[in-house]
Amino acid sequence: MTVLSWIKFLAGAFFILAGLVVFVIQLIGVFRFRYVLNRMHAAAMGDTLGVGLVLLGVLILNGLTMASLKIGFIIVFLWFTSPVASHVVTNLEVMSREKPEECCPVKDLHEEDEQS
Amino acid sequence: MFKNLPVLDSISSCFLIVVLIVLAIMALLCLLRSVLGPTVADRIIAVNMMSTMVIASIVILALLLEEPYLLDIALIYTLISFLAVVVLSQIYVGVYREHLAARRQKRMADENRQTAESKTDDEDAERGGTA
Repeated sequence: MTVLSWIKFLAGAFFILAGLVVFVIQLIGVFRFRYVLNRMHAAAMGDTLGVGLVLLGVLILNGLTMASLKIGFIIVFLWFTSPVASHVVTNLEVMSREKPEECCPVKDLHEEDEQS
Repeated sequence: MFKNLPVLDSISSCFLIVVLIVLAIMALLCLLRSVLGPTVADRIIAVNMMSTMVIASIVILALLLEEPYLLDIALIYTLISFLAVVVLSQIYVGVYREHLAARRQKRMADENRQTAESKTDDEDAERGGTA
């Protein structure tokens, strides 16, 4: 009985720590990148995987109760809606950026072929 | 949480409190990003990140205090944060479209004024030539 409790705690703690590491990587990424779309790529990672792992850890620590079902609902809803939110924000950014050459310069490949 | 083993109970409580503190500090740093960000999309992303970290904190708090009612609050907050992001983005898309339409109208008005002026100049030149 005690061994089972220790296994439950260790498994839950491992998943919660993994989720926390993903959150820290997300935060560092959002601060280090220089353009909005790169930052969004880093932010979407924490919104799906980070929350998924943390909630999975709490689910394991709770055992088989009604609370675990509710946590399962939260995970499913987050995984459905987070990509939609990212798409809508990206749409806004791409539409309102009038001169994308300032932040994302495009290299012309034909010039490189002519030079070489 | 682990009623039979007091050692495991105290270890798990300490661990969960440390996790809560780290999540709270990270949520405050997201606020810094939302203040600094040069564009609107930066700020919307930062608010979304902060909401997700708050959801994780609420769920861990529900485990720590052994109150399953806090999970309902976490579910509702998930819905609200998603709705907020979508509504904010659509509002700013509408604002940008109005801005663009106003600028296009001003440009067309300027062009009409310029063609009207040049037409009167041509008429004056013709009359001056023939007269």
